[in-house]
Amino acid sequence: MNLNIFIQHFINALSLGSLYGLVAVGYTMVYGILRLINFAHGDIFMLGAYFVYFATIVYKLPWAVGVVTAIILTTICGLLVDRIAYKPLREAPRISALISAIGVSFFIENFAVVVFTGMPRPVVQPPILMKPIELSGGVRLIPLGILVPVVSFVLVGALLWLLYRTKPGLAMRAISFDIEATRMMGVSVNKIIALAFGLGSALAAVAGIMWALRYPRVEPFMGMTPGIKAFIAAVFGGIGSVPGAMIGGLILGFVEIMSVAFFPTLSGYKDAFAFLLLIMILLFRPTGLLGEKLEDKI
Amino acid sequence: MESMLKVEKLNVNYGAIHAVRDVSLSINKGEIVTLIGANGAGKSSVIRAIMGLVKAKADEMTYTSPRDNNTVNILGRPAEEHVKLGIALSPEGRRILPQLTVEENLALGAYTRNDAQGIAEDVEYVYSLFPRLKERHRQKGSTLSGGEQQMLAVGRALMSRPDLLMLDEPSLGLAPILVDEVFGIIREINSQGRTILLVEQNAFAALKVAHKAYVLEVGAVGLSGTGAELLNNPKVRAAYLGG
Amino acid sequence: MHRVRNLILTIIAVVLFAFFLDKAPDILNGYWQRILNLIAINAILALSLNLIYGITGMFSLGHAGFMAIGAYVSALLVLTPAQKNAMWILEDIYPWLLNVNAPFVVSLVIAGVIAAFFGLLVALPVLRLGGDYLGIATLGFAEIIRILITNTARLTNGSLGLKGIPAHTTLFMSWGCLGVVLLCMVCMLRSNFGGVLRAVRDDEVAARMMGINTFKVKVIAFTLGCFGGGLGGALMGNLITTIDPRMFMITQTYNILMIIVVGGLGSVTGSLIGSVLVTTMLEWLRIVENPITIGSINIPGIPGMRMVIFSLLLIIVIIFRREGIMGMREFSWDIFFPQAKAKPKAEPHESDTVLEVRDVMLKFGGLTAIDTLSFDIKHGQIMGLIGPNGAGKTSAFNVISGFYKPTSGSIKFLGRSIGGLSPDEVCKAGMSRTFQNIRLFGHETVLQNVMTGARIRQGYHWWMSLLPFVFTDVLREDAAVRAQALDLLGQLGLAEFAEEQASSLPYGAQRRLEIARALATRPKFLLLDEPAAGMNPQESEELLQFIRRLRDEFDLTILLIEHDMKVVMNVCDYIHVLDQGVHIAQGTPDEIKANPRVIEAYLGKGAA
Repeated sequence: MNLNIFIQHFINALSLGSLYGLVAVGYTMVYGILRLINFAHGDIFMLGAYFVYFATIVYKLPWAVGVVTAIILTTICGLLVDRIAYKPLREAPRISALISAIGVSFFIENFAVVVFTGMPRPVVQPPILMKPIELSGGVRLIPLGILVPVVSFVLVGALLWLLYRTKPGLAMRAISFDIEATRMMGVSVNKIIALAFGLGSALAAVAGIMWALRYPRVEPFMGMTPGIKAFIAAVFGGIGSVPGAMIGGLILGFVEIMSVAFFPTLSGYKDAFAFLLLIMILLFRPTGLLGEKLEDKI
Repeated sequence: MESMLKVEKLNVNYGAIHAVRDVSLSINKGEIVTLIGANGAGKSSVIRAIMGLVKAKADEMTYTSPRDNNTVNILGRPAEEHVKLGIALSPEGRRILPQLTVEENLALGAYTRNDAQGIAEDVEYVYSLFPRLKERHRQKGSTLSGGEQQMLAVGRALMSRPDLLMLDEPSLGLAPILVDEVFGIIREINSQGRTILLVEQNAFAALKVAHKAYVLEVGAVGLSGTGAELLNNPKVRAAYLGG
Repeated sequence: MHRVRNLILTIIAVVLFAFFLDKAPDILNGYWQRILNLIAINAILALSLNLIYGITGMFSLGHAGFMAIGAYVSALLVLTPAQKNAMWILEDIYPWLLNVNAPFVVSLVIAGVIAAFFGLLVALPVLRLGGDYLGIATLGFAEIIRILITNTARLTNGSLGLKGIPAHTTLFMSWGCLGVVLLCMVCMLRSNFGGVLRAVRDDEVAARMMGINTFKVKVIAFTLGCFGGGLGGALMGNLITTIDPRMFMITQTYNILMIIVVGGLGSVTGSLIGSVLVTTMLEWLRIVENPITIGSINIPGIPGMRMVIFSLLLIIVIIFRREGIMGMREFSWDIFFPQAKAKPKAEPHESDTVLEVRDVMLKFGGLTAIDTLSFDIKHGQIMGLIGPNGAGKTSAFNVISGFYKPTSGSIKFLGRSIGGLSPDEVCKAGMSRTFQNIRLFGHETVLQNVMTGARIRQGYHWWMSLLPFVFTDVLREDAAVRAQALDLLGQLGLAEFAEEQASSLPYGAQRRLEIARALATRPKFLLLDEPAAGMNPQESEELLQFIRRLRDEFDLTILLIEHDMKVVMNVCDYIHVLDQGVHIAQGTPDEIKANPRVIEAYLGKGAA
């Protein structure tokens, strides 16, 4: 394998991994607070991709406007999901919310089939993102491949800033350890939970948009597999930890791309790697790379 | 004297357990009132019900804010609104947030406030009460000793500038020398104008500082009086050691 | 009496239904016959997932994977060599596989067994995880299985799938299989082993203290459930006649999950009702996806609408009727025969060192919960362990009963070292306990709670409970345990509650029930963690008498944590006092009352 091809793979892995990471961050925030696997998160990601498709290709809005519109609409959807399907179940056994999450996931996917039809639709990539740049040594890079990781890192950086440098961020971190103690400090817990859903959905929207540009098409079930894999990335990095989710996403991206790059015969098994990683981490370090240990009380 | 908190016939049930039965109490502005009783007598349930953390029934539960002398019903209000009214709780078991630093725990205590200047002053005030916290201001809560965690819990409750400060077992698990220190600080806080409701297992220490005390026995008020009266009451000893 | 009546009614119902199935091909068209078949298959799948999830409490999302295994195994066995030769186009089939062949019924059994084998492989590592992680890990396995099927073309024909599978699944086949599964499952769930499964779901910690190896029980339930999944998959393949890996996506698992949620998690009857409703509705809803013409109006079909309606229903059910149609209840003929509530009769009738604790220390990270604790308890003693909140009393209990390993020091029970044993092993050695915050198997009857406690004394193996009419030990031993349990309930004044749900009992009765359950393990040594907590003075007084009676009637040695000093001082022969993990005093009740260190620990400094 020559350097050029290796760099291509490296960039590929970086952008795939950072996309997994962006989605994983949404899972990890919600799980950290509510101990709920938000199965619908992958479908929120899909909605983001569809919204941008409609905004820019069907309604011919400029890209920047289309992207912002898509992010706003997706965030609203994320908030609605929490309000309608999860909030009534806050006091219920955790398993009820989980089943509700499965129902919501199912609903969004099929609703998308009804509204958008099941046919995959091609996304037109803005040419500026696709024009290869020649570097020295014959290395060619496509701007999109650089854009994706850069945007992802900037956004996760911004999220970390919010979590560690602002009051709502402080409340969000506090809630994930002890909801009741946080309420005693005068924090409106439901607002903070909504904030977590909103931020997670916005990040998922960005990931969905970039995903749609990368594999230039959208379809109603496009969120399913990346969604599950991103959840695995979140578990791998340590559920509840934002940096962990990003690291988990990157590791997953590199494992998938590099294993197929070095062992092309394994390409059919590509989707299985995530699950093997998951099972291994759960067996040997159930709290994930950066996760905290939770003690059972007797 | 102006009444600040008035509770009439408070009842708390957990499933089949009747944890608090018809408890009535009143707190006047500027007082230290203590609620003592053996383990499992329902002390914490009373304080949690006042804070709005557990579902409770009562004939009356009202709070009169010294800020505007408005009397409001606080039964059935969510806990976060109590903080805005001027009530704060340092809960049993400290419940500090282990992964947040000392500074962040204090900042969380000031969550309802927006006056950066005042908050900074209060942080210094808490550090002056508990110099040990200042030394450890960048450390995570989980790395503090039990006594330091207790100080942090009290300091955090003070950060909302409460008019009524409720302390649930502040001496629990502390070495005797620290117990003295904590009660000294409770006095100091009170002398600066804050009203205090204190739930304690350490009856003698609590009675010494209290203006008024209630003894809880299996969920109901058995005795009440001034701290000094109860300090010499043989029944108090009986309530703890079973006679 | 009514058991005979119910048996007769059941037989009549089965015969009538068989007669109906016999005539069905004449009465019903192909469409309805297919629905009828699907109902039976879905019921098998739902029952098996319900066994794993609703009854044993393991959140598994892997059912589609086990179905896939069953479907492929069965199909590969029933396809003829000629068919196989014609179908494997891209790659050649393994030569050994070409000629492997078996009759349909045999293939069903093999399909189930191989699915169960894979289930066992999955269970051994993964069931150590709990809750959501288990769900994700099993979902992962199901995906891996699907990926393997897609990529092992020489074995499975890859993504092309298998076609032309003979349509062996007749109405008698599918309903016959359901009948067998149902019979075995109902028998097992009615036996005491079934009670153990539900106990693991309700409270795993308490179940371990009843001497139950909960890991083993979970592995058994999971493996049996996987057998059902394989069987259902095999029947499905032979009904639809073509299979490919895309059939066994996560959506398939969701469908089954929906059936058991709608029917009621943990209810066999619910799974059956859920299968009928969900299967019929899924088929019926196809209408909305097909174009309809009413008069001159053409309504175009809306693809995807079926699942939209369906998922909305699921969300509505979970938000507004979480427990599903049946909750955890079951069908019984008795509902047709109004009668006075049957009250089980139960008339009330009928020194050496037990525990040696030496220098036990327990640390969590930097925190010392117990600092060098040593004491002995002699046979027949009632010993008290007291101290303020956070003194380390419950930690001491947890060390003695095997939930925590001591950091150092030794614990000998009846002369045998139990320092590193797990709770179930400690229980088998003759120790039992209650918990501070009552841990009953809340959804079970009072009687079943006690019977679960007696499970460790039963000799029959779990698999015998599937066929109790063959292995009559099951019936005999269950009857014996039942009689003993009723007897015990009578002695503890709980007989009137025998058929009530444990969580519905008044508080004091729940405390006594927890003790009754502990006694059912026939312990020599009993640990009571705050038995008087939450009791009023009168109840505490009764408890005093009760604890003394326990010691005398059951020849027990008792260690007691209690805050109600009246109880402690009156009932204990000897008392140890802990304060912040330190053993600060010991002595008779009078000595303790006069001990200045104790008074100080309780009343505060300056009290003595």
